[in-house]
Amino acid sequence: MTKRTISRRTVMQVGAAAAATFAAPAILHAQTATLKITTWGGKWGEIMKGSVLPAFEKEHKCSVSADQAFPFVPKLQASPKKDPIYDVLHTNSNEQWKCLVEGLVEPKLDTKKVPNLADVYPYAISESIVGVSIFTSAIGLGYRTDKGLAKPTSWKDLADPKLAGMRGGYLIPVNSLGQAHLMMLGKIYGKGFQDLDAAYKALEQLKPIKLFDFTGQMEKAFLSAEVSMGVIHDSGIYRYDGQNQPIDFAIPKEGVPALEQVLSVTPGSKVKELAYAYINYMLRPDVQKQLAEGVWYSPSNKKVNLDAKYDARLFNTPEKVAQLIQMPWKWYNERKDDIDTRVARILKS
Amino acid sequence: MNTTSASIRLDAVSKSYDGRVMAVDDVTLDIQPGEFFSLLGPSGCGKTTTLRMIAGFESVDRGRVVVGGTDITDVPVHKRDMGMVFQSYALFPHRTVAENVAFGLRMRALPKAEITERVKAALALVELTGYEDRRPGQLSGGQQQRVALARATVIRPPVLLCDEPLGALDRKLRQQMQFELKQLQKQLGVTLVFVTHDQEEALAMSDRIAVMNAGRIEQIGTPAEIYERPKTRFVADFIGEINLFDGVGSSASAIRPEKVVIGAPGNGGLPGRIETANFLGGHTLYRVTADDGRQILVKETNIGDRPTRAIGEPVALSWDPADMVQLEG
Amino acid sequence: MSARRFDAGRAGYFALNGAIVTFLLAPIAIVAVFAVNPTPYISFPPVGVTLRWFEKFFSSEDFMNALWLSLQVAVAVLVLSMLIGAACALALARGNLPGARVLTAFFMSPLMLPAILTGLALFQIYLLAGIGRPVWGLIMGHTLVAVPYVLRTTLAVLHNFDRRIEEAAAILGASPVRIFFEVTLPLIRPGVVAGGIFAFIVSFDQFPISLFLVLPKGETLPVVLFNYMKFDLDGAIAAASMVSIVMAISVVLLLEKLIGLKAYVKL
Repeated sequence: MTKRTISRRTVMQVGAAAAATFAAPAILHAQTATLKITTWGGKWGEIMKGSVLPAFEKEHKCSVSADQAFPFVPKLQASPKKDPIYDVLHTNSNEQWKCLVEGLVEPKLDTKKVPNLADVYPYAISESIVGVSIFTSAIGLGYRTDKGLAKPTSWKDLADPKLAGMRGGYLIPVNSLGQAHLMMLGKIYGKGFQDLDAAYKALEQLKPIKLFDFTGQMEKAFLSAEVSMGVIHDSGIYRYDGQNQPIDFAIPKEGVPALEQVLSVTPGSKVKELAYAYINYMLRPDVQKQLAEGVWYSPSNKKVNLDAKYDARLFNTPEKVAQLIQMPWKWYNERKDDIDTRVARILKS
Repeated sequence: MNTTSASIRLDAVSKSYDGRVMAVDDVTLDIQPGEFFSLLGPSGCGKTTTLRMIAGFESVDRGRVVVGGTDITDVPVHKRDMGMVFQSYALFPHRTVAENVAFGLRMRALPKAEITERVKAALALVELTGYEDRRPGQLSGGQQQRVALARATVIRPPVLLCDEPLGALDRKLRQQMQFELKQLQKQLGVTLVFVTHDQEEALAMSDRIAVMNAGRIEQIGTPAEIYERPKTRFVADFIGEINLFDGVGSSASAIRPEKVVIGAPGNGGLPGRIETANFLGGHTLYRVTADDGRQILVKETNIGDRPTRAIGEPVALSWDPADMVQLEG
Repeated sequence: MSARRFDAGRAGYFALNGAIVTFLLAPIAIVAVFAVNPTPYISFPPVGVTLRWFEKFFSSEDFMNALWLSLQVAVAVLVLSMLIGAACALALARGNLPGARVLTAFFMSPLMLPAILTGLALFQIYLLAGIGRPVWGLIMGHTLVAVPYVLRTTLAVLHNFDRRIEEAAAILGASPVRIFFEVTLPLIRPGVVAGGIFAFIVSFDQFPISLFLVLPKGETLPVVLFNYMKFDLDGAIAAASMVSIVMAISVVLLLEKLIGLKAYVKL
């Protein structure tokens, strides 16, 4: 008897869910416009879903459908250009360049439509950026403070023989930080970011090295002391602030590659005004402050006043911003396949 | 049991599966109510197809099927009201013995009490009282066959069809079941059509036999007629052992080995020598090579302390000319 | 000599079986340790026992919504794939269809295609057709890859099915419809249910197809776990895995009890 009740209820609920799905889009179309965006998960996603997006929906009387499920770019590629699955694409700079080349996103934003662009640091709308970078992290060196290591001052410190097997890097084909690090090696050990031969040679010298897919795994490797020093973005270390973890972030003197959070608009978007309004909203000082302090990202808007703790560490003055290096992603994407093959060979043997 | 048995008439029935080879070719049969009628023949002779056309599992290309005076050629299987027993038993493995037997009664929407009563009686009749709650998988082959019999007869069908029902049983059990089936048939008075390739079985049980070959009926008759007076070379050859003598053209004559008498040489008869001797208990089967070169089988009953004849012993064979049958085709 | 050889063989046999079982269960053991270990990373030996990751999992609205959705989808897929798979199997085995062999291969083809391509293809079809990505679309996607399992197991049962049993029912007076419900269906049920259990698990664990077909805020558990892992890799993932494993086992046991898998069919 009980069994029967359970199964019947389940069936009814599945049915109800299906019915709701049929009904939902019609209701939305009738009442409000929907802005379709991508956004990160984790803490960032919590803040977005918890307060940032609801406030935007209220201000603009719209609804926002935020996709947190990777992979964004293949989904955008697979959807019709005239009716793209996203209106605003939030992703890292390298993927934005890939999308721009394929005509999936608009190259530049207009200050008339996004007034807050007037207040951003130049790097956020530089020639290296598609759309606008709303935040940036700095890719530098993380290290454990309890292993008797001196705070690293140069990217070359990662090659210290003492760190054999205790240094950490990324699977370069799938991780932006790994790709940025590779170009950085070309700059430091060779003639520039594009000196791949020098970069490959330097990479060879870093073996043995532990490799990770995601930065989240690298963070856990720091916490568990599996890695003593490794490539990571500042927010990946600072987010453990206050937890008494023996880890710290160092800015090498050669500079730190920027890991930009870039927003761009799709050409086929049916709600472009709303899309620009959303980008403008994301650049607003109050929104920028909330997210910057939530996840330790450096805000692009010059007018953001951060609390002392964040102000001390994030890149929010012209002097500090000058340490950021923007990577030639378009150039990199064009030869990504060759680089992937080469790198796989180096790191395999 | 108050079964009303029915006559079965096949009127020039034909069936072909591929449009070229006739599985059943122009078969006409008249089976009497209450008769135990066997369809006998080698595999592929069309006997099973004939039975399946009576049951309605196979459609009829030409001809009519009439049961109890009603043309049922176009009546679907489930409305034909027949019982059937299969070689593989075909019991419902997911149901108990009692449920198996009750199935046909349930389909006839009989009152529950009557179903219980009749299932009980049917199981008692096949001596399976106490096995009601077993599943077929827990029974022996013989027991399963008896359940199948009970299931087919409990509905009191006017016609009971049996497709090699004893084929899967071992020899001893088989003989016992032959006896039981025959007894049950007489008890119920049901018209029974029995398909078999086993001539001994057919001879032992049937009131009449139709011998089939290549889709056609070779001969219909009582077991004695079929055995003693085979009409065709095929029937003579298929039933028991027989000595065939080719005649002019396609005609031939034949005589059964037990009709041949072995005598001392010199007193007339066909002279020859004993070639081989097979002692078979009740009788001995000799192969005699006649002086004219013919090989003749002779079956001699072992009476008293007559010793087995020696190989090479000269003999003379004789028979009553009335025992010699003329064959056609 | 021969006795010693026998012992060596026996020992080897047990060692090999032990190794296989260890190999199969090791991942589950590691996940279990991770799930109750207080540190947010895998550490061995574990430094303690905690239920905080289970608490985190069960108190997270995202995880709970995803778990509930995954369950609903998997139940729908279970029912649909049993219906479709059994119907297809009956048609293929019984229907005298021209080219039944080719059709069987066609129905099995979702298993041969990488699921990620199936997912991507469905995603494109849905978008081009203007359907969007409703839950029923996700259920259809899962059903597509789940049906072959039911088809396979049902065809296996039908292959060994003695059709005389159905004929016996017919001559006893059962109409074709009654034969289906009283004889055919009960006899193929073990095959259909066994395939259905595969279908449930295939759906519940489905990642590549869901990846493209889930909607924002309507993500299934595997998709949520994957994305969670990119930002917050901690024991909540392991706790979720343990819950999934327990859930899958419960469903198998429940179906066993409700419908019964015990095959009384002579195979």
